[in-house]
Amino acid sequence: MWRKDQVRYGMVIDVDKCTGCGACSVACMSENNVGVLHDETDKIKSITWLRVYQIDNGKPFPDTEVAFFPRPCMHCQGGESGTPGQGFFQEDTDPDAAHTPCVSVCPATATDYDDATGIVSQIPTRCIGCRYCVAACPYHARYFNWYDVPWPKGTPRALSPFVSPRMRGVVEKCTFCYPRLQQAKNKTFLDGSEVGEMDYQTACTEACPSGAITFGQLQDPGHKVHKLIKTDHAFRMLEKLGTNPKVYYTSKRKWVRMLADNHLSQAKAAKAAASGGH
Amino acid sequence: MDWDRRTFVKFAVGAVIGVHASPLIPKLMDDSTIWTQNWSWVPNPEGGGVAYARTVSPQTGTGVLAKIVNSRVAGERAIRVEGDPDHPLSQGGVVPADASALQLLYNEEIRVTSPMLRNRKTGEVMRITWSEALDQLAGNLSELAKSGKAHQSLALAPDPSDVTGRILSRLMHSLGSPNTAYTPTPRETMALAGVFMMGQPFLGFDLANANYVVSFGTPLLEGFGAPVAVRQAYAKWRGYPKNPGTLVQIEPRASVTAGQADEWLPCKAGSEGALALAMCRIMLEEGIYDKSIESAYGFDDMKGFAGFKSMLMKDYDRNKIAKMAGIPLAKLIKITLAFAKAERAVAVCGPGNSGDPGRMYDFMAVLALNAFKGNLGKPGGVLTQQPLPLKALAGDIADPQQPPLAGGERPFNVNNVNAMAKAALAKKPYGIKTLILCGGNFVFNGPQANVMHELARKTPFVVAITPYLDESAAVADLVLPSTHWLEGWGDSTTPYGSPVSSYGVHRPLVKAVPQARDAGDILLAVAQRLGGKVAEALPFKSTEEALAKRSEDLGDFEELAEAGSWVQKKAIYGPPKFNTPSGKLELFSMILHDLCVKQAGSADVLENMLAYLGVEGGAKTAFLPHWQKPAAWGDLKGNKLLMQAVPSLRTTWGGDAITPYMVKILPDTMLAEQDKLVVEMNPITAKALHLNDGDLVQVESEEGSLTAKLSVYAGAAPGMVFVPVGLGHEAFGFQVAGKGMNFNNAAGVTSDPMSGMPIWELTGVTVKKARG
Repeated sequence: MWRKDQVRYGMVIDVDKCTGCGACSVACMSENNVGVLHDETDKIKSITWLRVYQIDNGKPFPDTEVAFFPRPCMHCQGGESGTPGQGFFQEDTDPDAAHTPCVSVCPATATDYDDATGIVSQIPTRCIGCRYCVAACPYHARYFNWYDVPWPKGTPRALSPFVSPRMRGVVEKCTFCYPRLQQAKNKTFLDGSEVGEMDYQTACTEACPSGAITFGQLQDPGHKVHKLIKTDHAFRMLEKLGTNPKVYYTSKRKWVRMLADNHLSQAKAAKAAASGGH
Repeated sequence: MDWDRRTFVKFAVGAVIGVHASPLIPKLMDDSTIWTQNWSWVPNPEGGGVAYARTVSPQTGTGVLAKIVNSRVAGERAIRVEGDPDHPLSQGGVVPADASALQLLYNEEIRVTSPMLRNRKTGEVMRITWSEALDQLAGNLSELAKSGKAHQSLALAPDPSDVTGRILSRLMHSLGSPNTAYTPTPRETMALAGVFMMGQPFLGFDLANANYVVSFGTPLLEGFGAPVAVRQAYAKWRGYPKNPGTLVQIEPRASVTAGQADEWLPCKAGSEGALALAMCRIMLEEGIYDKSIESAYGFDDMKGFAGFKSMLMKDYDRNKIAKMAGIPLAKLIKITLAFAKAERAVAVCGPGNSGDPGRMYDFMAVLALNAFKGNLGKPGGVLTQQPLPLKALAGDIADPQQPPLAGGERPFNVNNVNAMAKAALAKKPYGIKTLILCGGNFVFNGPQANVMHELARKTPFVVAITPYLDESAAVADLVLPSTHWLEGWGDSTTPYGSPVSSYGVHRPLVKAVPQARDAGDILLAVAQRLGGKVAEALPFKSTEEALAKRSEDLGDFEELAEAGSWVQKKAIYGPPKFNTPSGKLELFSMILHDLCVKQAGSADVLENMLAYLGVEGGAKTAFLPHWQKPAAWGDLKGNKLLMQAVPSLRTTWGGDAITPYMVKILPDTMLAEQDKLVVEMNPITAKALHLNDGDLVQVESEEGSLTAKLSVYAGAAPGMVFVPVGLGHEAFGFQVAGKGMNFNNAAGVTSDPMSGMPIWELTGVTVKKARG
C-alpha cells in the first residue's frame, strides 16, 4: 500500500507533440551504454530501451494520418487502477493483487518493484537469462542480449561510467535512468534538501526537442505530470490488461487513443480483464 | 589425538558449520555471478569527475553541452552530447545526429588517424608525416600555378560562410583559381529571393509566434532549419485543450510533417509554388489581403510590363490551379480564408524533401503570399535577421583571370557544385588537374554522387581533407585527417529560416585522434608553403587566430569560445527596410531585371537568354514571383514515376554520415532485412505496375539505379516513388556501411531556371521488379 513517504515516478508523453525524430531513443542509448549489432533491422534482437513506434490511421490517400508512440518500460504497478478523473493511477490497497507482470515471474529477483519509488528495477548481474520476463511483458519493453555487443575500436571511450555495459545472456530494459535518481539523491543528501522535480529527469525527457515528454512524481500535486494525467486526453497503452502502468500518453486525436486500446468502456474492460487477465 | 570415526565426523561437521557461518559461500556466489559476466570483451568504463562544456554543433547550428568525464587512467573523455538549455535554438533539446556524434568521433576504425598517400595503380596506402603531406599538396598547387594552370583546380567545402570555407576560397582565389563550390543550401535561394524582392538577403520565419503556418512542400519537422528550434515552435502550436496554432502542410506524401499537421494538402509534387500564387489570387478576389501591397512596386501594370495583379488574374485561377495540383478546391479556399483571417499567419518555404536548396521562383511566390498577408516584420511573420557582425578575414583579392568552370553565363553568380563537376568532366571550358575535397563528403552526398565519384576518379590528383575514412577519402590520392567538431576549432552561421541570426564557435574539448588538425590549419599551412600572394592573403598562423579576427566585433574571443555562441538578442519587429531601387517591396524585381538586361545587352537577346536559362514565359513574367513547371514533369511519359526523397532526422542530408544509433532506430519502412533500402509507393500505382508489397524492385533514373524492397503505403501520392535519403554508405564501419543504397546516386540534378542553383527534388524514374 502506498504511503505518504513513498513517491511514484511516472511519465506523460504528448503524442501530438512527438515528431518521431528518435532523439529520445538515441539519448537513452548513449545514457545507458546500449550497443549496436551488425544487423539492427531484426527488431526482435535489436535492443532499444525506448522504441518509437509509428502508427497510421489506416485510411487511404489522401486521408492518411501518422502518429508516433515512444515506448519506454511502463513500470507497471498492476492491480486495480483508478478512474480517469483520478488520473487512472492509484496503488491497489491489496498488495497481493498488485503485481507487475515481469516482476512476478522473475525466478532470480533480477527485476523488482521498488516500493519507495514505483520504479521496476533491472539488475543484469543477477539475471540468469531465462527470458520469462520478456515473455510476460505485454509492451515488448524487455530485451535479451543474444550477442555480446561489438564495440568498434575506440568507441568504449564514449561509454558512461554510471551504467554497466551488459554482456550476452542477460535481459535489459528502461530503468527510468535510475542512476540519475541515485546521483540526485547523493546531491540532495549533502545539502539536506529533497529531490525536486527538475533534479531528477530522465535522458529522454531532457533530449526531446519538442518537449513532448514530461517526467515527475504522479502523486505530487506540485509536479506537472500530476496535472497532465488528469486531462481528458490522457490514456495508457493496453489499459485493459490491468497492468496499471505509470507511463501515460495524451492525444487529442481519437483514432490515436482508439489504437492504444483505450476505447473499451469500463464495463467491457472489467469483463476482458476477468476473462483473459491474470 | 587419534583419528577415530568420531573425531572425523566432529571435524567434518565442524568444517561444514564453520564454512556456512563464514561469508565464504555468499561471497563466492556473488563473485561467481560477477566473474561469469565480467569478460575481457565487456568494457568497464572508468569513472571520474564530471564536467559540462558548451559548444555549438556546426551540423545544426544548435548549442549543445558535452558531458566530459575526467578519469585517472583514461584521461578526459566525452561521454554524452546533450542539448544546451541556455542556447536559444536548443533550450535543452537535441537531435539524434548530435546526440550520437560521439560514435563517429571515437570510432578509430572509421577515423583517419594520420596523413596517407595512396598509389593509384596498386591501391597501396602509405602513412606519411604531416610535413610530407603538406609538401605534396603545396607542391602540386604551386606547380599548377607556375605553369599558368591554377584555374584547373577545383575545391569543394560544405559551407561558404564558415571559417574553413572562407580560408579555402581565399586560398583558391589568391592562387588564381575561380573554382570553389559548396554544398548548396536553401539559405542561398532565400538570399536571392529576399534581395530581389526586398533587398534583404537574411530572412527568417517567426514560427514560434505564429498561430497559422502553411508550409509549401518543405519538411518542417524533418530537417528544416535549426531542427530543435522548429520543434519547439511546433510544440507551442500544440496546447491543451485546443491547439493554439494550426499547421498546414502542402506536399505529396503523408510524411511526418503532413501526418502531424492539422491539415494536409496532398498536392502534385512540384505544384507548391502555383498554390501559393493561387492563394494570393483568392485573397485578392475576396478582398482579404493587406492593402499596403497595392503600393508595392510592380503590383499594377507598368510601362511595357504586366504587373503582378494582372499576372495573377491571367494565370492563377483557383479552379485551374486546384485541378492542376490535384487538390479539392473547397479545401484550398478554406485554407486561404483561414490563412487570411488568422491573427499571425505565415507561409513557409525551404529545402525540398531531398535536401535541395529549393526553387527560387517558389520562394518568391511564398514571399509574395506573406506580403499579401501583410506579415513582413510582424510577430509570427517573415522577419529580417540582424546580419552577423563578422569581419572579413583580410582585404579583397582580385578575381582570377580565368572564368569559372560553370555559372559565368548567368546574370548572377551562384554556387553550383554539380554544374562545375559536369563541366570539368566534359572539359568545357576546361578540365581539372587537382580536386580538393575539404569535408562535406561530396563523393557520397553529391548532390549527384556518381558524378562526383567519376570526377574524383578522372582527376589526376585528389586530396581529401576529412575526419573520416569516408567515400571521398576512398577515392583520394592524399588523405589528410581533419578534426571532428568536438576536437578542433571552427564556426557555424545562422541556420536556414531562423528568425534571429546566430553564430557558433566550437573549440577543442576532447582529443580522439592526436594527429588530426583543423581543416583551416591544414589550408593555412599549405598557404604558408606556397608563399607569395597566397601567404599574404591568409596572414594567420591558425584557425583559432582567424576566428578571433573574424569575430572581433563580438567581444572577447575567449569568452565567446567558452560560451560557444552569439545569438541576436531580440528579433527585429517593425516595417522592414526595403533596400530595393524603388525603396519599396518589389513584386517586379528591378534588381533582377537590371541584372538580366545588363548581361543580355539588348532586349532581343534578353528573350533568348531567358530561354537559355530555362525561364518559361520569357520576360513577361521572369521578374515577377511566378510558377515554373518542374523540369521533371517533362519526362513523365509511359510508365514513368516521379521519385522524391524521404527525409528524416533519423538519417542525414549531406554533412556527417548517419551514426550507428541512427541506423539502429530506423524503422523497417526505411531499411529492412539487414541491408535493403525500402521505397514507398501508393497501392494503386503498385497495382498498375503489377508490384506487390515486399517485392524487390529496381528504381531506375537516367543517372543511376537503386535496388530496394517495396513498401506499399497508402499515404504516398499515386504516380510517385519515395526513397529514403542518407543511407547506402560504403564506409563508416560495419554498423553503417552496406545498409541500403544511396539516393544521390539516382537523383537527377538539374539547374533551377534563372537562379542556376542545383535542384534535385524530383526525378523521373521507372520502377520494375528486380531479378533474383
